[in-house]
Amino acid sequence: MRVSRRRLLGIGTGAIAFLSVRAATAHHSTAEFDYTKQITIEGTVKEVQWTNPHSYIQLLVDDADGRKVEWSVEIGSPSLNINLGWRKNSVKAGDVVTMLLSPARNGEPYGTLRVLTFEDGRQLEGVAARVRALPPPPANGP
Amino acid sequence: MGTMRVDAGFFNLRRLGVLACVAAMAACSPRSDNASVASGPDAVLGTWVPDAAPERLLAVDGSPAPLTPEAARVHAERLERLQSGDRSFDQTTWCAGPGMPRVLTMPYPFEIRRDGDYLAFIHGWYRWHRIVDLAGGAVDDPPLPLTMGFPVGHWEGDTLVIRTVGLSDVTVLDATGLPHSDQLVLTERLRVLSDGRLEDHLTIEDPDTYTTPWETVLYFHRDSTARVLDDICPDRIADGEPAVRTALPAPLANAQPAIELPTVTTDSAATATPRLSGMWEPKTFGFMVPEAPLSTAGRTLVDRGAAAMAAGQIMHTAWTSCRPGAVSTMTMPREKIVVLQSADEVTLLFEMPRMVRRVRLGAEHPASLQQSYVGDSVGRWENGTLVIDTVGFNGYAELDARGQPTSAKLHTVERLTLSPDNRSIDIEVTITDPEYYDAPFTIKRSWKKSDARHPFEYDCMENPRQEDFEDAYYVRERYRPTCMRVEGEGMALSRVVCNRPQE
Repeated sequence: MRVSRRRLLGIGTGAIAFLSVRAATAHHSTAEFDYTKQITIEGTVKEVQWTNPHSYIQLLVDDADGRKVEWSVEIGSPSLNINLGWRKNSVKAGDVVTMLLSPARNGEPYGTLRVLTFEDGRQLEGVAARVRALPPPPANGP
Repeated sequence: MGTMRVDAGFFNLRRLGVLACVAAMAACSPRSDNASVASGPDAVLGTWVPDAAPERLLAVDGSPAPLTPEAARVHAERLERLQSGDRSFDQTTWCAGPGMPRVLTMPYPFEIRRDGDYLAFIHGWYRWHRIVDLAGGAVDDPPLPLTMGFPVGHWEGDTLVIRTVGLSDVTVLDATGLPHSDQLVLTERLRVLSDGRLEDHLTIEDPDTYTTPWETVLYFHRDSTARVLDDICPDRIADGEPAVRTALPAPLANAQPAIELPTVTTDSAATATPRLSGMWEPKTFGFMVPEAPLSTAGRTLVDRGAAAMAAGQIMHTAWTSCRPGAVSTMTMPREKIVVLQSADEVTLLFEMPRMVRRVRLGAEHPASLQQSYVGDSVGRWENGTLVIDTVGFNGYAELDARGQPTSAKLHTVERLTLSPDNRSIDIEVTITDPEYYDAPFTIKRSWKKSDARHPFEYDCMENPRQEDFEDAYYVRERYRPTCMRVEGEGMALSRVVCNRPQE
């Protein structure tokens, strides 16, 4: 059985996005995420996945019809998130959080995290926190 | 998808629990080479070969591990799967990290090196290494469990005692899938026995999994022909071999490595040259090499990649396919870098990309070189600058995220200069590759001293999602994935199947 396409995240794409944290003028050629957009979603954490090469939070969000929609949000990678101040139990299943993210271009409930905010106002930055809107890839090298 | 490759021979259940020599291993008639054995604590240094890489760990008295009822059910289920050839409870199946003590039960040699208060285990399986902090600072609250955990060591007489916490529960203790939780506390007591063998006496404390602490023991011997070589697990799968070989290869005893490595040395403190030793991290992360003078051939490849990316494809390079070359550590190093320095070698242990580079000081490149991802590196000191000259690359590496190519003609010269305050290292890398670049060019990087005592780890092959490889552009055919998750609901981790790429 194939996993839904909406889960997609290329290692290459993710890696490049991820690299761009420290190089905000990064080149994000595959443009899986639209860094020119920022959206906010609120929901309940279903699962935190600490895996390489990328880590994710699964967030259950109520849609306009009151149905639960499961978002998959790339938060970074283990080493990156630790450097950003995260710890294993910083976010737990059941936590109610707000996520500012840049969404996938394909419109699926999928994105890359800029900032996560807890109910008490505490915040954690995600992989895309410092990524500016990026230009389209060069058509012919640098 | 083809079926998962299974090599059941070594994992025949009838052999479970038998701490027998593997027939093909020199271990059955150890070729002890104790002439260079150091005395005192550093006797544990050097290259070691498992006596009998056991597939199942038993307590010292031969009894089974004292599993809790729930853990026993988990293990029994794994034994059943093992009987049918399914080893997928062990993430080494898809080249992900073996963890501790699993890596010590694998039939691969490892080397122990020390410099100051860092001691490194350099394993022969897929570039894994672990850095033991000998400064003694206990790790009370690991930020996140790692497969290799956070090892802290000290000597008690001639016994090296290593206590490791923060061990991720995604790994197994042995090839039969003995489980553990991330509350595992592993204590090793390593000493060299009177017969020259290395004993690692392990105490496993994990109340979530075992009813009582229990102890097991592993033995290793020296073999003057054993070498810890660069190993790329996904390439072996692509070649139709198992992710973890089942025994030390018989030809090992007759292997004539093209490169004679220096004997073990231990401490750079006595040397008059700059001391690059310790833990470093890049000051900034450059993932682009912006002004490389591409040749027509090089430009063609880069343009092809740019067009694919512009069309929305994910570009896969050696880095993203988990087989980076040494040049990636020069152009795109990330995270922690541990340097172990001695009079005749500088060992560079990279966290990301995970890699072990050996720089033989005062040596020459051999006349006949085997091409490899890491190449052959020799070094010399020039007015306080370490100059590393590397050739022998295999051409499977890109300089940056845009996929600027390299060929087997690649030649790199790195110049590492320690700052006067010993807090940073400035690096110039001159890259020559007439296949893809019209002229040599130089890039600059800089490392700063890290305040950390433990590196983190990057396990590139941990979670190879099928989606990662959809709409993909492979810079080289070799970069096609060998293992992917192919089933599961939502983001639930699912089954990983390894295939030869052409299947």
